[in-house]
Amino acid sequence: MTAKLSAFPKEHPHEHEEDPREHLMLDPRPREEMNSMVLESMQDTPVSYWVTVGVLGLLVGVALFGAWGYMISKGMGVAGIRRPVYWGVFIANFVFWIGISHAGTFVSAILRVFKAEFRRPFTRAAELMTTFGLAAAGLYPLIHLGRTWRFYWMIPYPNQRWLWPNFHSPLMWDMLAITTYLLSSTIYLYLPLIPDMAMARDRSTGWRKKLYRVLALGWRGTEAEFHHLHTAINIFAFAIIPVMFSVHTIVAWDFAVAMTPGWHSTIFGPYFVVGAILSGVSAVTMVLALIRGTMKNMKYFIRPEHFDALGKLVLIFSMAWGYFFFNDFNLEWYGGEAVGHAVMDYHLHGPLSWIWYGMLVANIIIPWATLWNKKIRRNPWAMFTIGFIINLGMYAERFMIVTFVLSRGRMPFDWGWYKPSLVELSISLGSIALFLFLYAVMSRLIPLIPVWEVQEGQLAHTLRRIGKAEIPTVSELE
Amino acid sequence: MSQQISRREFLKLLGAGAVTTAALSGCASATRLVKREPYTSMPEYTLPGTSTYYATTCRECPAGCGLVVRTVEGRAIKVEGNPAHPVSQGHTCARGQASVQTLYNPDRLQNAVRQAQRGSGKFDPMPWDEAIQVVQDALANNDPDSIAFLLGLESDHLADLVNEITAAMGARAPYRFGALGMLDARNTLVMANVLLFGHPGLPVFDIAHAEVTFSFGANFTETWLSPVFYTGAYGNMRKGTPGQRGYLVQFEPRMSQTGANADEWYPIKPGTEALVAQALGALVAEEIGIPTEGLFADVDVAAAARESGVSEEDLHRLAMMFAQSQRRVAIPGAGALGHTNGLDAAKAIMGLNILVENLGKSGGVSLMPESALGNTQMPSTLNDLTSLVEKMNSGKIKVLFIHGCNPVFELPAASGFADALQNVPLVVAFSSFPDETALQADFILPDHTGLEAWGYQKVSTASDRITLSSLQPVVVPVQDTRATADVLLAAVQAIGGDLAKQVPYENEVAFIKAKLEVLVGEDGYYAASDANTLWARWLQVGGWWDSDALLIAPDLTHAVEVLQKQPSALPAAAFSGDEAEYPLHLLVYPSPNLGDGRGANNPWLQETPDPMTTVMWNSWIEISPDLALELGVCDDDIVRVTSPAGSVEAVVYVYPAIRPDTVAIPVGQGHTALGRYARNRGCNPLQLLDIQKDASGNLAFAATRVKIEPTGRKHQLARMEDRVGVYGDRYGELYR
Amino acid sequence: MSETAQEKWGMVIDLDRCNGCQACVTACSLENNVGFVGEESAAYGRGMHWIRIQRYWEGEYPNITARFRPVMCQQCGHAPCEPVCPVFATYHSEAEQINVQVYNRCIGTRYCANNCPYVARTFNWFDWEWPEPLNEQLNPDVTVRRRGIMEKCTFCIQRIRKGEEDAEAEGREVADGEIQPACAQACPADAIVFGNLADPESRVSRLARSARAEKLLEELGTETKVIYLKGGSSRDR
Repeated sequence: MTAKLSAFPKEHPHEHEEDPREHLMLDPRPREEMNSMVLESMQDTPVSYWVTVGVLGLLVGVALFGAWGYMISKGMGVAGIRRPVYWGVFIANFVFWIGISHAGTFVSAILRVFKAEFRRPFTRAAELMTTFGLAAAGLYPLIHLGRTWRFYWMIPYPNQRWLWPNFHSPLMWDMLAITTYLLSSTIYLYLPLIPDMAMARDRSTGWRKKLYRVLALGWRGTEAEFHHLHTAINIFAFAIIPVMFSVHTIVAWDFAVAMTPGWHSTIFGPYFVVGAILSGVSAVTMVLALIRGTMKNMKYFIRPEHFDALGKLVLIFSMAWGYFFFNDFNLEWYGGEAVGHAVMDYHLHGPLSWIWYGMLVANIIIPWATLWNKKIRRNPWAMFTIGFIINLGMYAERFMIVTFVLSRGRMPFDWGWYKPSLVELSISLGSIALFLFLYAVMSRLIPLIPVWEVQEGQLAHTLRRIGKAEIPTVSELE
Repeated sequence: MSQQISRREFLKLLGAGAVTTAALSGCASATRLVKREPYTSMPEYTLPGTSTYYATTCRECPAGCGLVVRTVEGRAIKVEGNPAHPVSQGHTCARGQASVQTLYNPDRLQNAVRQAQRGSGKFDPMPWDEAIQVVQDALANNDPDSIAFLLGLESDHLADLVNEITAAMGARAPYRFGALGMLDARNTLVMANVLLFGHPGLPVFDIAHAEVTFSFGANFTETWLSPVFYTGAYGNMRKGTPGQRGYLVQFEPRMSQTGANADEWYPIKPGTEALVAQALGALVAEEIGIPTEGLFADVDVAAAARESGVSEEDLHRLAMMFAQSQRRVAIPGAGALGHTNGLDAAKAIMGLNILVENLGKSGGVSLMPESALGNTQMPSTLNDLTSLVEKMNSGKIKVLFIHGCNPVFELPAASGFADALQNVPLVVAFSSFPDETALQADFILPDHTGLEAWGYQKVSTASDRITLSSLQPVVVPVQDTRATADVLLAAVQAIGGDLAKQVPYENEVAFIKAKLEVLVGEDGYYAASDANTLWARWLQVGGWWDSDALLIAPDLTHAVEVLQKQPSALPAAAFSGDEAEYPLHLLVYPSPNLGDGRGANNPWLQETPDPMTTVMWNSWIEISPDLALELGVCDDDIVRVTSPAGSVEAVVYVYPAIRPDTVAIPVGQGHTALGRYARNRGCNPLQLLDIQKDASGNLAFAATRVKIEPTGRKHQLARMEDRVGVYGDRYGELYR
Repeated sequence: MSETAQEKWGMVIDLDRCNGCQACVTACSLENNVGFVGEESAAYGRGMHWIRIQRYWEGEYPNITARFRPVMCQQCGHAPCEPVCPVFATYHSEAEQINVQVYNRCIGTRYCANNCPYVARTFNWFDWEWPEPLNEQLNPDVTVRRRGIMEKCTFCIQRIRKGEEDAEAEGREVADGEIQPACAQACPADAIVFGNLADPESRVSRLARSARAEKLLEELGTETKVIYLKGGSSRDR
């Protein structure tokens, strides 16, 4: 079994002809066995797991909340931002995590809508990324406020002074979009979880049973229940896609509606969305590689075919991103406005231009040079590495959009350079820890594999022997 | 809130009007103390939230600008210019604005102190009667010849009082010193005025109405003589006369802020100002067709052009411009006069004015008439100060009183003043701050700061009429300080005898009033028929001055005679330091923001960017890009600057508008004392100056050569400008 | 965000008179309780100056000269800072036709500062200190801002209000030149003139009609209320 699932099945005579059983959908196991495999992965908590969770928790406490508390008590000055670079790493992190949160929706909702069958085992892993990515992202608008303790003034609540927030401000759109997205993506995460909660409820004891009983909402698995569930999931899958596009467009508008040269660009909306999907899907490959590598029984569910499929997606979005990037760059170059050229010059020839060139290597050269290769695409750790590099590249892009552009304004007398401070780096590290911490905790609380969806898919797929050949067949589920 | 304070209620009433004041004015005295009540029971005329305005005089430099200070509930809030005042005309400079931070400075001395060991900084507070006893004993128990007073540059009531006291005692008149006077080469200018016009005062240049102004190193919009007056004149020169835009030509080796505003700027070789003026004079004389004799005869224009670096063509063009213009003036500034040939330069430059006969005319040169309070006393020359140092060293000085200046910081180290101080048995400083000199004193009896003080000031630097500027306290003294005049008078009264009879004033205010009596019935901006009305109007208006601009025209014939007798061959400027070893000219100039350095503990002056470099909170050495490349140094490098007289470390500012053979360092930073904002910040370039004098016995402060060595260390200067944005990669590697 | 920019208070800065002396900078700071930050912060672009004098070099040595331009908040009629503030801490004052910053409402997103093409806004990175008794000098008419708050030039609105109230109490119109912000009041060269642009006879209106008048970054359509009069050139005569 394990040997068969290795990344490079050498025993196979013809490389081009795969064994159909490499596909999860065509490699069914008894339902009960699969259920217990998933439950076992949830309950498997070795020392290394606790150490990891402990370290991550400590980082969250000290690096994130400790540093944030220090910043609140001292003032924003402990961060490296200054005139004229009033936004820095915090906003870059914000855009980055919003980008990560696009993975779940894109991989799950869009693939679900288009009935891409390979999605089945990892929709939940991706959806969790959306929720936790948003959790990390949502902190940053609070962290970067000069007076965090007054954040609630952005909320439109009735008050005796009749003071409402300014709905002209993109920051208000941000807040509304993010809360909408967080709410809808959480519901979208929860809906397909219900049958799995019921499965876990029926097979566990103690506090877990109590927890799952509540979460399962009395699910019994009747046909009517499944019918309602499918309808609800379908509605949400369709509804969340425009929300996802709008969220990152609005994040892009934070920049694009400003009159700052280098930000004021009509292409920023789709450019940001594509960039978000690129970094999000790359992050999904990283998370899948981690799950597959560290959790029990996951090699059965997460297979090279999934990395292969995600690799193709990454390649496509890398190309799309390159297209938008070139658009943005080209028009600025031909625009000929002095300040635009100063901004561009800072990217190309400034002291930090290595970040710009590094971004191009990470986001274009490396994916294009590797992902055409099926062998690489099917190797989980190779995909992990490529996903990591792409995310570095995408982070660099956000960092430059925020800080490089602000460094070069219309008044050369007041240009400035920006150096992230230790506090900013600490909080950034802390938010990565927060994401991983939440993920690690959740991996032992809910099944990361939507078992019932896998089983549903396996029911629909069969191998039929016609002559000497085994032909996969698929039946329409709905 | 229960401090013993004086005179405050009185002040409030004064501000209220003449009648009330007249009734009460007899009561004012430093000895009449009242309790300061908490503000829950407000003093009369002090309404919560209502401002009260007092006219007084700025004491941040000796120019004597009139101020109106806004106070709210007994606190000085904002300094504004006195619109009626002839010097400031309603405006102020940055230093004047920040004087409230001098008043409320956290590092001021809080009371009279005794310093058991000089330089230790360990102060024992002492009551004021003991402090007065110290002064009394010093005055009574020493031979008058062994008592010396060293005062600041201001021609104020204290100077007059000390003059009276020393005259009565038979002691030498007070020495007067200030770095601003030294770095303006005021004595040289006065000496030139004496020689040419027989007038022992500073000339006034009517820049405001001049069509063409030739400024030879006069940084008149920064610190030179009276910056607010001359900056106002600059504005009017540009746009004050409809249809006329005055044209400014500046000759100086390093572009000052004034030079930056000039229409033409000539980086001439240091020390060649006299040559340039001579050449221009000869050409002007030729153009307007007057015979040349003496100074302007047989001038080798080509040689002057070669020496100075101004092309012959430019000299001809400029001379033509000067000759053909209706109103033109030439200004002998500090940069020209601070050389060993400074007096000759002053004569040559003033000679340009004499040639075109602009004396006493609109857009020309005039002299200030003597005021009713007597003539202003000019500062001591370096010769005088050197003799003081000699006397101190030989033990002839037993008591030294120092007020209003900081010679340990401001005099070049080579003068030996600091060491000589050790040979004086008793040093009493009256400084409000624990500055470098005060730290070398046995007793510090802090005077009030300007905004707490009574007084008057005879405007001697620049005004368009006789101007006496009044000082009155705008708030009760913040600390337990006492007016030096009061301390001296109290000591004199206690000594009694003849001295007390000859100096019969009860206190400072009585002295001022006695002096002002001559103004009763005088016709000026106002006329007061009796002393009380005069006093009320004096305080309300902010002084006394003529109702109309009135200056006197210098005597042309005498001046022409002097110039005709002057030989044409002028001595070349001499420099200290061998050219091979010390290849660079050093130019020191007073910082536009910090002045002579007394502003250095003023946080907002520190944070106000320097006009030319935009640097805050530090000093720097200006080096031309070519020189920087040659030396292999770049911005923010710390270099060691060495002269034959000393050595300091300074941070490099690559300055695009300075001669490659010249470096410049602003004066004002480099304090080792004075307070938290001033201490250990930048360098004091006066430590580098060698003692070289000109013919008038003044310091030739631009006559020192230096060398520069990189130290390999860096210090990032706080600049307002962005280096890349402003300079780009114009100088490539210089902006690493 | 009025659709047609109206005129009220405005300022004319004559660059031919301005010689870059910095008196306005200090005057502004002391009138408006602007904090001082010290060398390290000032070096890192955290000075709080509401007005700064830009000094640009022109030419190469020896034919070099410097140009000075005092830049403060230009009080745009169409201000880029206004629409981006989520809490209306920066808004357009209809009465004065200037941009007002409500310190107590500001939550510190700093978006306004990013969107200001004039870099006119400064942010309180820390709580700045006025060690006793330096705090006695603080102007009671102006809020002392704490950390986390954006601030900028207000045309000394406390003086505008005071002048208007005084005039109203005396039942008269505000006289031309009666209200002066600290910078204009201090300026020794009389380069800064403040007044009512709506009154065609005011000194500021007359100067604003000069042929030398220009606005900073006029192409952005910000409808600024600060008008510069171009300086003369050293090359023309």
